[in-house]
Amino acid sequence: MIGYVAGDSPLHRAHPYTPLAWAGALLLVAFAVSTPAAIGSVVLAAVATAAVGRVVPSVMRPALLLALPTWGLLLVLHGVLGPDPRVALGPLSLSQPGLARALVLGGRITAILFAFLTVLATVSPPRLVEAMTARGVPFGRIYLLVSTLTLVPRMRSRAALILEAQQCRGLRLGGSPPARLRALGPLVLPLVLGALAEVDEQVLALDARGVTSGARRTPLAPPPDRAGERALRWVLGLLVVAAYAAKFAGHGL
Amino acid sequence: MTLRDLVLVRLGVAVNLVVGQIVAALLLPVYLDAVGTILIAALVGPRAAIVTGLTSQVLAAVLSGNFSWLPFGIIQVIIAVYAWVAARAGAFRSLYTAIPAGFLLGAIAGGTAAPIAYFVFGGATAGGVTAVTTVLRGIGVPLPVAVGVSSIGTDLLDKSIAFAMVALILRTLPSHLAARFPALAR
Amino acid sequence: MKPIVRLRGGSFTYPGAPAPALHGLDLELRRGEVTAVTGPIGAGATTLLLVAAGFAPRLTGGTLAGERESLAVRPGIVFATPWTQLTGLCHTVRAEVAFGPASHGRPREQVLAVADRVMGQAQVDHLADRDPHTLSGGELQRVIIASALALEPDLLVLDDPAAELDPAAADALYALLREVAEAGAAVLVATPDVERAARVATRALRLEQGRVVKDGPPSEVLA
Repeated sequence: MIGYVAGDSPLHRAHPYTPLAWAGALLLVAFAVSTPAAIGSVVLAAVATAAVGRVVPSVMRPALLLALPTWGLLLVLHGVLGPDPRVALGPLSLSQPGLARALVLGGRITAILFAFLTVLATVSPPRLVEAMTARGVPFGRIYLLVSTLTLVPRMRSRAALILEAQQCRGLRLGGSPPARLRALGPLVLPLVLGALAEVDEQVLALDARGVTSGARRTPLAPPPDRAGERALRWVLGLLVVAAYAAKFAGHGL
Repeated sequence: MTLRDLVLVRLGVAVNLVVGQIVAALLLPVYLDAVGTILIAALVGPRAAIVTGLTSQVLAAVLSGNFSWLPFGIIQVIIAVYAWVAARAGAFRSLYTAIPAGFLLGAIAGGTAAPIAYFVFGGATAGGVTAVTTVLRGIGVPLPVAVGVSSIGTDLLDKSIAFAMVALILRTLPSHLAARFPALAR
Repeated sequence: MKPIVRLRGGSFTYPGAPAPALHGLDLELRRGEVTAVTGPIGAGATTLLLVAAGFAPRLTGGTLAGERESLAVRPGIVFATPWTQLTGLCHTVRAEVAFGPASHGRPREQVLAVADRVMGQAQVDHLADRDPHTLSGGELQRVIIASALALEPDLLVLDDPAAELDPAAADALYALLREVAEAGAAVLVATPDVERAARVATRALRLEQGRVVKDGPPSEVLA
């Protein structure tokens, strides 16, 4: 299940910036390393953190569902179709360097998926908004990231309504590709034009509530940011730097 | 960015995220996930369109869980800037100019996606594209070429349709709405 | 009492429009008064609200001719469709209502106190911890009004505020408007609901094709 899962783990209680920093660091380190062993440790770190957040069951399924097709294709693309020397794996003859490459690329994607899905599962959007507000992040940035997510379901249901209405008027969803292409217009146009017509009202409503006042918005329930967590975020940053320093110094992790 | 630009960008992002759903219902082999970006480029400007594209990239990852798309952010910038230039050049005034302009963007965007897919992911990203890549490799096409061809192929169709879509939207805008967008008058 | 907004010979034209949406406008709005505006669709009632509150031409573009004097420092506005007026950032009704004062940087205790007070006024206090996106149209509209009241506006303009409300909720809303006026604000409401408007308005205007054709007591204008 993709999305926030309520809970009381250390990750849930952490300041929202900490899991985000950790996932970002993991993403960067994943691209710094290039051996199967190293990427394996990164994947383990990602899974371990999901365990700390007590969200492994929720995160495992979507992560594997999203990663497996890529793994399959990678193993074929690089493992089967890769260059010599080859190694026998049961009835299959796989390219050795190709297999290593597939493991690293697949591992990267798996680690990143686990990390970010864990963040999604343990960082609640309202808490993140409060954290950003407390830090003085401009209204515009928060608005774009969070408010859009509340607009999407509304637009989706409107799209479904338009679909129904047009079908009542005789629109067919099947048929030849050019016919289906022509059906795009009557579906997308009303959706976009309707949304554009609402813009002025939204601007007025937001302006009247003071978003252009220039004052720094007061957070109502800012999550605490303990010194230990701030230190941890700095350490993560240093780890990333170290990983890239090692990579460019030729230590080929 | 003014408050109005902000609300428009939000609309653009929502359009990017939602149109894909309509497209899936029609079983068309495209994504059309940049219609919002292109529209905002024509209605507002390049900066707003870039923000639209990048925000859509992040939110698409959040909604689908598929964070491996994040490195393709640079392509959103290319789409935004190209769409703005095309709008200034009047490409959206007619379908006959919009579609070729979209086709060219497809080539550019797909061409940029290919090296990212190759270097970052060894050629494996979206299922469909990777499947085509694998087939091409299977018949002996070198990997970089296979990635390039599959990447560009889908993009040519996708961006042509997207540009046609935006041209239609702009044409159907009621005049009182159109008057609120100074960028259109040029 | 000095009017909080005064317009003399006002005319307003939207950008790119061939003709003014409003012309020959003479209007005075006073604290404690509820002014109802009625007229056919397209007559200019919404435009009148925007001009009176100072949102036009500032946010809409266009040109305003004539004299406009305004002592209204904080206008509040409520439209007919509740969902477009949500900030989209707030996950509880309390946060949504508190958004206005919070955006002005007021201290936390003050913000929460005001939010509680106006939620009580608008009778949405029992919804304080609910997600605004799960509310019915009627409940949400009351939340929007509470959100507007949270900034303690001296001029509150409303555009067909009870359009999506059931009869009981609509009655309560108009009664609330009277209370808001009695507490010291000027209220201007555009509505086709002449019956309810007549119950609470102290003055009424009828617009036709951008001109005020009737101006006087509700009993005369809204008959």
